Amino acid sequence: MTTLDSANNTSNPAKKRAVVICPGRGTYNKEELGYLQRLHSDKPELIEVIDNYRNQQGQVTISELDQMQQYSMRLHTAGENASALIYGCAMGDFQAINKDEYDIVAVTGNSMGWYIALAVAGALNPEASIELINTMGSMMTDGVIGGQMIYPITDENWCIDHQVVANIKQWLIEANSKEGCDVHISINLGGYTVFGGNKAGLKALEALLPVVQDRYPMNLFNHAAFHTPLLNETSKKAQSLLSPTLFNKPAIPLIDGLGQIWQPHSTDIKALYDYTLGTQVVAPYNFSKAIEVAVKEYAPDKLIILGPGSTLGGAVAQSLISHEWLAMRNKSDFIAMQKKDPFILAMGLPEQRTLTV
Amino acid sequence: MSDRNQLVRDNFINAVNANILPTSTITLTPTEVGLSDADVIDLFETQVISRHLDLQSRIMQKKGQSFYTIGSSGHEGNAAYAKAFRPTDMAFLHYRSGAFMIQRSKQVPGQTPIYDMLLSFAASKDDPTSGGRHKVLGSKALNIPPQTSTIASHLPKAMGAAFSVPLAKRLALSDEQSKNMPQDSLVVCNFGDASSNHSTTQGALNATAWAAYQSIPMPIVYVCEDNGIGISTSTPDGWIAANYKDRAGLTYLYCDGLNLLDTYQKAKQAEKLAREQGKPVFLHMRTVRILGHAGSDAEFVYRDMKDIEATEFNDPLLHSARILLENNILTQAEIVKIYQDVELRIAQVAEQVATKAKLESAEAVMASIKPPVLPAQVSSRYHKVVKEEDRKALFAHEKHNLNKKQHCAKLINWALMDLMAENENIVMCGEDIAKKGGVYNVTTKLNQRFGQNRVINTLLDEQSILGLAIGMAHNGFLPIPEIQFLAYVHNAEDQIRGEAATLPFFSNGQFSNAMVIRIAGLAYQKGFGGHFHNDNSFAVFRDIPGLIMACPSNGADAVAMMRTSVKLAREQQRLVVFLEPIALYMTKDLHDEGDGLWTSNYVTPAEAIVEENVSSEMKIGTFGDGKDLCIITYGNGYYLSRQAEKILSEQGIKCRVVDLRWLAPLDEKGIVEQALQCKNILIVDECRQTGSISEALVTLLAEAQADSNEKMINTKRITAKDSFIPLGAAAYHVLPSTQEIVDTATALVNKESK
Repeated sequence: MTTLDSANNTSNPAKKRAVVICPGRGTYNKEELGYLQRLHSDKPELIEVIDNYRNQQGQVTISELDQMQQYSMRLHTAGENASALIYGCAMGDFQAINKDEYDIVAVTGNSMGWYIALAVAGALNPEASIELINTMGSMMTDGVIGGQMIYPITDENWCIDHQVVANIKQWLIEANSKEGCDVHISINLGGYTVFGGNKAGLKALEALLPVVQDRYPMNLFNHAAFHTPLLNETSKKAQSLLSPTLFNKPAIPLIDGLGQIWQPHSTDIKALYDYTLGTQVVAPYNFSKAIEVAVKEYAPDKLIILGPGSTLGGAVAQSLISHEWLAMRNKSDFIAMQKKDPFILAMGLPEQRTLTV
Repeated sequence: MSDRNQLVRDNFINAVNANILPTSTITLTPTEVGLSDADVIDLFETQVISRHLDLQSRIMQKKGQSFYTIGSSGHEGNAAYAKAFRPTDMAFLHYRSGAFMIQRSKQVPGQTPIYDMLLSFAASKDDPTSGGRHKVLGSKALNIPPQTSTIASHLPKAMGAAFSVPLAKRLALSDEQSKNMPQDSLVVCNFGDASSNHSTTQGALNATAWAAYQSIPMPIVYVCEDNGIGISTSTPDGWIAANYKDRAGLTYLYCDGLNLLDTYQKAKQAEKLAREQGKPVFLHMRTVRILGHAGSDAEFVYRDMKDIEATEFNDPLLHSARILLENNILTQAEIVKIYQDVELRIAQVAEQVATKAKLESAEAVMASIKPPVLPAQVSSRYHKVVKEEDRKALFAHEKHNLNKKQHCAKLINWALMDLMAENENIVMCGEDIAKKGGVYNVTTKLNQRFGQNRVINTLLDEQSILGLAIGMAHNGFLPIPEIQFLAYVHNAEDQIRGEAATLPFFSNGQFSNAMVIRIAGLAYQKGFGGHFHNDNSFAVFRDIPGLIMACPSNGADAVAMMRTSVKLAREQQRLVVFLEPIALYMTKDLHDEGDGLWTSNYVTPAEAIVEENVSSEMKIGTFGDGKDLCIITYGNGYYLSRQAEKILSEQGIKCRVVDLRWLAPLDEKGIVEQALQCKNILIVDECRQTGSISEALVTLLAEAQADSNEKMINTKRITAKDSFIPLGAAAYHVLPSTQEIVDTATALVNKESK
């Protein structure tokens, strides 16, 4: 398996040390249509496992989705399709990384990207990966539970506005005190907070959040109230559908949405299973913390964000700025750094992709 | 890396590759002790991280990036007992506890121990524990208050914290925001074999055993990590076991700290005893010391090379490697790879850490001397206004006296009565303070009113009294410990100087131990003489950064100042020493017998004028507005000066008398303002000529006048002689008197008018 190659290499100080970041939902958009075909037609064995599984489930294959003439919001963003499609693209990207140049020292991801991270790190084999990712992605086929809404917590320089963070805490309490309202922090996404909740809860919170940049708070289309207690039933269902035997020890350290590190040898598989289908499904996903742990505990030379898309780049940069990583204190420091010698390499951006493959 | 460091680093790889590993007579398997294979690897990884951090610190030191390289090498077995406890079990750790820290950090998601510890090596201001002030092991999230632990001064407070856990349960205090620990917590405290000889260790263990012996629950596990040597002095063979094996009140357990399985198993036994039965445990853990005492220690000077090499071969990491191989958990190659990967990882993180900023100004360094002011909703958790009918019940025994003027001791007693009723987390502790009510009746009836849980008779050990208070404060209490006589505090002053006062500083304000330490002291006791009950020196407190010191001269001030002190502790987390002049406790008259001028009416909490800002309550008091002479004084000196003032006034010398009230920090502005209005200044200090506050006052006044073109104001001081206080009337030969004040003042004023 190419995925595991890096783990079997003895650490080579001459190589660049990279942490790989796996994308979550909402990263395969109109521009990404044809991503698999364009970039990964050389990896038929990867796509085949996914497509075969989807055929068995009576679902449209990711090859078909990728090769459609037109991008369809309804089709391409629906969980049961988006998850597998994004996984295919991301895994393809991971395989494309030049392992002679890069040592992958740890893997993390955002939200659904956690499942991809498990796959990338070898905690799930290819068959198990698509089974888990597709099953989790298809949880909402009978109707999306609640929704997600995103809101910025930084100023224009990408520095965290602590007053806004404090206010959000209060606004959440206020919104939840209203009849029938149930809303929570779903993801800490660098300079953004993603909320998850029921319709009434999100509406109540939306009414309290001052409108900024003319578009926030913004509801995320086709997203459920992931990482909140609203998904308790989903978590139970997932555990009844998916067996712990799907899991292996990872071959590369994994950093999860609480900032915990799962080491290749010392990982307790049952605990990893419980976290993945339990905790992580119903508790906030702290992507900012995952990035903090990644840089502080591994000090990588590069952060490689797998495609499709590159939307995580901003959130990663904002997380770095909040820790003044590499002396970056604001957006312009980050832009300058990226221009000179990019620290973040997003494989969804052609000019940065060339530096990784 | 120096040769020895490199050798130790290489030895591991060579020994594992060659499979030449130290043996052990312990045959436990992971399953037998309740650990999975993954758990054992996890512990081993922790040990490896700890070791490479030690090695990295020495590399950093060579580059001038690290300043204090005392490490954990040989003691990495403490990872195993870290795993046996909960992250909410407060841990008071000595400086060889790197592996404990790392292991505990795995119990709380989102920790970054490698980065954080390297930041502390580098004294970076980003170090989340001390903010760049010290290389200390500590963490707010992990409930590890930072310690320097060099003289085992952390043991008395560990004892106090352990006592406070079941105490909080008995008093039903369980509020997370108020720092209350979970009620089923235990306390972990470790130290070395050499440190067990410190009186702090002896005192703390004694106090723990003393309590446990009378069936008071003391949920604490003391771990003595015995590496057999203290810097260059060997611990006598068998010394630790012989001392503690049969100690009344303590359960002794032994484990081999070179063996993770044995250590974990014994730690679990210890945990059960402490947590479930409230029994204190002395866990004696055998370790070795590798890489010397610290980076600067050339071990070969005092230790045989053969001995050094044998110790290095007995490396706990090699023992762990043997356990992993014997149990077929990892292969040799996998073990070596973990070791090398961690090394590289740490080197990379260290490079980043080296770029991080240091503390760059005195202001930045000093920012955490005072702990942060608490938000009102937190500081008011255990505070309430007491209903008038409840107060009536409290003061029922005094109902005929409440409207009469009272002396100082009685008024302090009443103030404490009200304060204890208002603040349910106040606990008093000290010698004879309970039923007896203290040797001067200042705490009389408090025990009867608030129960034995809140007014505690301690054993006769000042270090333990202060340690108890500090430990209780770590658990959300507001302690008011009493030191029976000022001279006794010197027995224990480091608990204030080195521990309580430094905690906010070394934890960047994240930990605090606010309290009001009551000390009865100073001289002039009639009929009860001798130095040890009339000590007139508190210089020991005056240079402690951040410490507040109060010294009332009369009952009315004492009431107001005690309330301010408690408020400072409760709202601003401050450490306050409250010095009560014994000789004025029962004093009623000022000039003539029966004049009652040194008694006052009790101002109830409802009647008290509360300043908007607590610090505006920390002001001098001034009597009179004469301009001939400003007498600056405090305590007994104020009392004598007030007597002198009347006599001087009759002689036509118009005085004002300034009572300092607060000895630290001084109300400098207030003092200068009063003094500069007068033609002469006389400082009356009942403490010694050398080192007393009179020196600070002269300096203050000189500096205040230095920039002016006016002639310096005539200034003199009267102090006690540089003597100890003798018995009986002889004491007055070395102490200032009213007559001396009158004579000196007259001479001063007459000289000026000539």
